Amino acid sequence: MSELTTLVVSILAFAPPVALAALGGVLSERAGVVNLGLEGIMRFGAFFGAWAALASQSAWVGLSAGALAGGAAGALLAALAIFAEADQIVAGVALNLLALGLVTFLLEWALGAAGGITDPVPALPSLSLGGLGRLPWVAAAAMLLLPALASLLLAKTPLGLRWRAVGENPRAVAAAGVSVRGLRFFAVTASGVAAGLGGALLPLAVLGRFEDRMPAGQGFIALAAVVFGKWSPLGALGAAVFFAGAEALQIEISSSGGALAALVPRGLFLALPYLLTLLALAGFVGRAVPPAADGVPWDPEAR
Amino acid sequence: MTPRARARWLAQEPLLLPVLAVGLAFGLCAVAIAALGRSPLLAAEALWDGGLGGLGPLGESSLKATALAFTGLAVAVPYAGGLFNIGAQGQFVAGAIAAAWIGAALDLPGPLLIGAALAAAFAAGAALGALAGFLKASRGVHEVISTILLNWIAIHLVDSWLVVGPLHASGSSGFSHSGTEAVRSAAHLPLLAGPDSRLNAGILFAALGILAAALLLRRSRFGLELRALGASEKAARTVGIPVGARTIQALALGGGLAALGGALLLLGGGTDYRFPENYRDPYGFDGIAIALIGAGDPVGVALAAALFGVLRAGAVRLQDPEVGLHRSWPEIAQGVAVVLVAGQRLLRGLYRLPLRQRRTASAAPAPAPPPLASPPA
Repeated sequence: MSELTTLVVSILAFAPPVALAALGGVLSERAGVVNLGLEGIMRFGAFFGAWAALASQSAWVGLSAGALAGGAAGALLAALAIFAEADQIVAGVALNLLALGLVTFLLEWALGAAGGITDPVPALPSLSLGGLGRLPWVAAAAMLLLPALASLLLAKTPLGLRWRAVGENPRAVAAAGVSVRGLRFFAVTASGVAAGLGGALLPLAVLGRFEDRMPAGQGFIALAAVVFGKWSPLGALGAAVFFAGAEALQIEISSSGGALAALVPRGLFLALPYLLTLLALAGFVGRAVPPAADGVPWDPEAR
Repeated sequence: MTPRARARWLAQEPLLLPVLAVGLAFGLCAVAIAALGRSPLLAAEALWDGGLGGLGPLGESSLKATALAFTGLAVAVPYAGGLFNIGAQGQFVAGAIAAAWIGAALDLPGPLLIGAALAAAFAAGAALGALAGFLKASRGVHEVISTILLNWIAIHLVDSWLVVGPLHASGSSGFSHSGTEAVRSAAHLPLLAGPDSRLNAGILFAALGILAAALLLRRSRFGLELRALGASEKAARTVGIPVGARTIQALALGGGLAALGGALLLLGGGTDYRFPENYRDPYGFDGIAIALIGAGDPVGVALAAALFGVLRAGAVRLQDPEVGLHRSWPEIAQGVAVVLVAGQRLLRGLYRLPLRQRRTASAAPAPAPPPLASPPA
């Protein structure tokens, strides 16, 4: 029983960054824009979140800065992919590469972080659970609430209807007199805010500091969660929770040091989320079908 | 040249935009460096000295340029067929670990051992690429997503299993090893300029790879069919090109090329002739940038790889006290250049170039991306 509780606590502690970035991926892809820049956006969110938190000595200011930086990065991606007519995949890759170099530089220039690690940053409030450690409840609450809200938004509101339509059949949206580009720009920027929040949680709620290797592939796990969760906000949340569970299980197994740890290599556990997603995509584990116009640039003149 | 002809040339010259993008990126970085109160001129001088000033720096530059050339080709070759190989990082790592394993495990004379290590590396990378190609051809899985997933599958299996498990160096003399066993000295690529420089035969392999890729894409039947596939999958299918087979072959070839990059870096001493623990150099991800800056053309890839290889090597000198800059500036310039290449329309506006004619298939370097929801073929 106590093992199960430990597992739940560590999922609630480790899943939020990936879950929020995955929510960002869903918001963008449901509007027809592939967001391959999640990794870079998380990196910007994590760095600016840590920087602002250190400067203001307030984790809340850090969280807002992370969301803002993510939104700005999302807007840059949107500007490239929608208005500069860049290939969406190229634009996402470009954003990742930019984040990689720029944050490494800013880290040393702005924070003088020796060895690529900052001082401890102010942490978001957490709940003491006695022997189980502390639970960063703000992150856990955001992880559970935001996808639910996004799900309602997409399913029940007029804006949500248009949001989904612009990812399935942009021509119909244009015919209804709604700006496809405007809507997509808004969606990708919102996607950036969510992924930036997820990134900011890494220093503010999970690790307690910023490290140069962040987010260490979590943006790509989020991308996998979008696919594994079949492009729905709650599905992506479920996938992120499942992936975090696999990771927590792996930590538990390798720290117990028993026969199982020798039998099942750690690398296999770490690769598991990606393997399962690949199988799901190939139709061996359920079928994952993206929105019809996902990744297709809007060209008003095309037929 | 009449103004109209000039405008047309400007609109269609494939390498012009990347050159302008790189130029503008360097300009922006110079301005930023000046704004930080440092000297862009000193920085340029340090980069030149560190990358090209003597045999030692040339050796470092060529090691990096070789790896970048192969990961660049790994992206550029499938891209000719409209296939986006984001998996170069995983393929690069797979190639390096395969070469490390063969180079340490087999006892063969030099050229044979090097050949065996490179062949094993190529096979490992090609298998990853072929898997992505197969999933696309048979199950309609978009190669961008599958290659990203395969990246992390390969990275985690290598990092957290092979390097720390089956292939971990057996610590013999109390001397703590990290990573795999070092390869036999017979597997070391021959040095070209004496023991003081790491300039080695890898750069010759890179030149050969560029030449082969250029010939393959421009002069072979395979290349023609691949480019036809890139221009229009529907048309390619109609004229009887086996689209599925070409998809698998192109991605397998891309994977093999990235893997050769990893193997040549390792056998050239770039990682002390062993696969280190926690290996993090993003050569594979950089390959995407090199391919984009090289306009998807093998010669462009060679130029971009040489340029950024030299800059990467030179960057160690940026940290000299009198220069006082961070070593990440070449990466920043590369990132900005890729953003500019991506935002072509923006770039053309900045330079007041004519916009490319819409829907002229022959002039477009990038085929229109297929929807991610492409149905299984």
